[in-house]
Amino acid sequence: MRASLLLLGVVVALPFAAGDYWAYQIGLYFLYAAAATGLGLCWGGAGFLPLGQALFFGLAAYLAGFLMIRFEGWGPALLPVAVLAPALAGWAIGLAVFRRRGESGPYFSLITLALALLAYQIAINWNAVTGGFEGMKGIPGLPGLDDYTAGYYVAAAGLVTAIAIAAWLRAAPIGVLWRALAQNERRVQLLGFDTNRLKAAAFAASGLLAGIGGTLYAPQQGIVAPQLVGFELSAALVIWTAVGGRAALLGPAIGTIVVGSLGAELRDRVPGWEVLMAVFFIAVVIVLPQGLAGLAGRFPTPSRNGRRRSAIAAPARQLAGTAALTVENAEVRAGSVRILDRLSIAFDRPGIFCLIGPNGAGKTTTFNLLSGELKPAEGRVALGGRDIRTLAPHHLARAGIGRKLQIPSVFPDLGIADHLAIALWSGRTGVADLLRPRLHRWTSPMSIELQRRYPFLGDDRTAAELSHGERQILELAMAMVTEPRILLLDEPCAGLSPEETAEVIRLIRWAAGRLGNTIVIIEHDMALVRELAQSVHVLHSGSLLASGDIATIQANPAVRAVYVGAEK
Amino acid sequence: MDPILVTQGLNLVFAVAVLAVLALGLAVVFGLLGVLNLAHGEFIMVGAYCAWATTAAGLPYVAAIPLAIAVCGGLGLTVERWLIRPLYRRPFDTLVATWGLSLLLRKAAEAAFGLSFRNVAMPLPGTVRVLGTDYPGYRLLLIAISAAIVGGLMLWYRRSRTGLRIRAMVGNPDLAQAVGIRATRLAAGTFAAGTCLAGLGGVMIAPLVPLQPLMGLDFVLRSFFALVIGGLGSAVGLFAGSAVIGGVDSLVSALLDATWGYFAVLVVAILFLWRRPGGLFAR
Amino acid sequence: MSVPRLDFDDLAGGYGTTEVVHGISGAAAAGQVLCIVGRNGVGKSSLIRMLSGHLPAWRGTVRLEGRAVTDLPPAGRRRLGISYCPQERPVFDDLTVRDNLILMRRDRSLDGFAPFIGRFPVLERRLDQQAGTMSGGEKKILSFARGLAEMTPLVLLDEPSEGVQWENILHMADLIRERRAAGTTFVVVEQNLAFAERIADRYLVLDQGRVVLEGPRSAIDRAALLPRLHV
Repeated sequence: MRASLLLLGVVVALPFAAGDYWAYQIGLYFLYAAAATGLGLCWGGAGFLPLGQALFFGLAAYLAGFLMIRFEGWGPALLPVAVLAPALAGWAIGLAVFRRRGESGPYFSLITLALALLAYQIAINWNAVTGGFEGMKGIPGLPGLDDYTAGYYVAAAGLVTAIAIAAWLRAAPIGVLWRALAQNERRVQLLGFDTNRLKAAAFAASGLLAGIGGTLYAPQQGIVAPQLVGFELSAALVIWTAVGGRAALLGPAIGTIVVGSLGAELRDRVPGWEVLMAVFFIAVVIVLPQGLAGLAGRFPTPSRNGRRRSAIAAPARQLAGTAALTVENAEVRAGSVRILDRLSIAFDRPGIFCLIGPNGAGKTTTFNLLSGELKPAEGRVALGGRDIRTLAPHHLARAGIGRKLQIPSVFPDLGIADHLAIALWSGRTGVADLLRPRLHRWTSPMSIELQRRYPFLGDDRTAAELSHGERQILELAMAMVTEPRILLLDEPCAGLSPEETAEVIRLIRWAAGRLGNTIVIIEHDMALVRELAQSVHVLHSGSLLASGDIATIQANPAVRAVYVGAEK
Repeated sequence: MDPILVTQGLNLVFAVAVLAVLALGLAVVFGLLGVLNLAHGEFIMVGAYCAWATTAAGLPYVAAIPLAIAVCGGLGLTVERWLIRPLYRRPFDTLVATWGLSLLLRKAAEAAFGLSFRNVAMPLPGTVRVLGTDYPGYRLLLIAISAAIVGGLMLWYRRSRTGLRIRAMVGNPDLAQAVGIRATRLAAGTFAAGTCLAGLGGVMIAPLVPLQPLMGLDFVLRSFFALVIGGLGSAVGLFAGSAVIGGVDSLVSALLDATWGYFAVLVVAILFLWRRPGGLFAR
Repeated sequence: MSVPRLDFDDLAGGYGTTEVVHGISGAAAAGQVLCIVGRNGVGKSSLIRMLSGHLPAWRGTVRLEGRAVTDLPPAGRRRLGISYCPQERPVFDDLTVRDNLILMRRDRSLDGFAPFIGRFPVLERRLDQQAGTMSGGEKKILSFARGLAEMTPLVLLDEPSEGVQWENILHMADLIRERRAAGTTFVVVEQNLAFAERIADRYLVLDQGRVVLEGPRSAIDRAALLPRLHV
């Protein structure tokens, strides 16, 4: 907080110290810095890299210029349209691409780059509107704000606004979810969040921030040239963001202002300046992924634990209807290999079920089927009688199917409190709720009880700092806080010491009683199965070999044959 | 036959063949190593400047081939060792790192040669009579060379022992290690092969385009688009992708103008990236 | 005192920050078959992957003929004479069965595979088909043939019988015994007791990443092993 005030003071005082003209020049980079801050939200926050960010900046600039020229007098009042247009474009592009592709790797990056190039072509060819290669000229300034100093302060206000929005978003639940999905998108989906929409929202936010910069650019500069939507500015924004530090709030802005204005000064004086910058950029990518901000010590992400002054009770989960989960004649193939072979299995009453079987029997595949990550080639999967084959994993999570993966998959860089908060938000939040920071204060009777049983859940550590056993407990705790009707646990005791195993067993039993739900456990250790299971299903070669209580299963000769490898 | 039609037809074949050979290096590196080399276009640019340097030094044009292979191969090995190898299996960081590399090569070329356009003299002036029309001989030569390079490389990859080992390494790296394949060396060689191919492509097209440090960007995008549309892994796909991109470009350019051609290429590419990211032949 | 073909001492390692093998020692002489048994998830595969070099050892030493190979990558160990057939993804799916077999052979011939093709006709039948189209058990057979035909002094097999039909398991046992008689050393992770009993000279029984039972086959019978396994 104090650092921010200090920076604000520097920004206010700059024209007095450096002179009007210099301040005006730096003001230009303030506008780019707003766009870079948005890029940081996507790249350092949500973990995908848009390569054509100038598209948004230029779009806003052209639109602002057009409005200022066409609606003289009214122009300034219409500028919010120019600010919001890139946000809408970002939302639409993001939804279209992420929905379609799912992933957000190189393909997304190159689509955005291609879009920027496309926009450049439109800008230089649509003479009537854009002024073509020459650019859109004669844009009137903002009334009463057309001297250098005023221009500077307008730009500064724009940047401060952009950073304030970014700061808000990063602190809000949505910011936590962005960082979570950057680390483990699948886990976020299994917790009931539509990650494609979350990513599209990040892209839209980056459009909004670029929109602020672009909109102010047009009246300040009086001209909008096609270069503003093209490749060079897009490339520069990526470099500034990387050098400044993509994951830190102020990193991208500082990178832009320092590198950008230094470049403007030194480009002509220092031979090979740009080669040096390129080498520096590569070095940053390889050895200093957090940029200059990383040098200044990791910008600590504010800890939620210290701030939870007054807890707020989270709304109860509204889940109605019975929760019988049934699979009928499901077939799953990979190539010519049949992984599930007309599997029929039902988990139709509360209690603890164990799913056992030798390697390759199809146990994890069955879980993937139940959590919606895999669709059967044939057959039916139903929850409470309703066909759920067409539902996405996040829908099923909201319908009450919780899952813990085999390998503990928490979010290494997030704090424990963030993990529990995400689990609390799961199924209890709408879109607008994700913008309210007070959701960090949510608790539920379940979460409070869990924290009492496991005091380490109140620690101020990140998941990466936990032991393997603690991570297993954290994952289980997350799954329980979502209060699922059906809880799928894939080898919850793998890699645990006997003491930790005993603790996990206690926890599972307690949860089964507390939630009164159905818990299905994949387990290899028969001692564990004996302790936990009320009912056992044995899978073999993708179909159900036997069901019953543990004594029945152990007496079953077919089951013994599968396990011992009898001579047949 | 209508001479204009023949010329346009040959132009189309030429555009497809050249694009296929330009995309080949990118296909090798992306398809086999999973590394999307955004500096691919800059290696083409380096190859083209090698051709320029050869002619400027008064040497015969073919001398540009060993020069480009030496320069691009050496650069490729260096880059693989220091930039790509630390980042394997981190596709995002490789993307950004090769993006930085493209910038470096561009700016280095700018510092060395300036931003002004340069031209390389046509090594094979004159025309050849094809189906009743005169067509530039050099272009016909390039069509033949492109087909030979793409076909030859694919054949070698399918048949040779090294090709077999590369396929083994790509499909199952752990097992490849277990049977004694030295994966690091093989990967380095594969990457360098990709950059050499880019350099060769640069030598081939140098007499046909104005040389400029920024020229690579357009090539890497077109190559990438061709790969996306054709899918990775077969000569047919590579030619099909090149045919769509090259064909759309030639056709729209002939009907309207070059800007619209470029525009159409971008639109088609974005549509493919969005709707059919697996390419033409994906299920 | 003669140097054992393979010996390993206080091996420990795991994944991420989780140690799953906590200091295991053992040895196998020339012409010996060492069977590693235990439940799923007790560290058997991790141990054999440390012997092959696929999982780095956090501490401890692996020696082949008395020479430390702990720092060598898998390809280097293969060159010194350690063959390895992994449990998962045991073959190159995109290559044909023939290419899987001849991949590392200079002359690209099928010489030396006759004993395998003779016993496993499926290899010949599917010689020019992609290995990825085979069933799990067939892939195991292909992997087994590839590994043994490398004719190295030490062969590591991770669950070679998984998914394989009983008659072919018997062929595998025969082939292992033939090679053992010729002096080859085997380390075999195995769940199928009936198979293990046919080939093992010694057992190493693991639980929770530690050795809980060790000794010659004659000293450890099925009644002693069963509680350490599944049911």
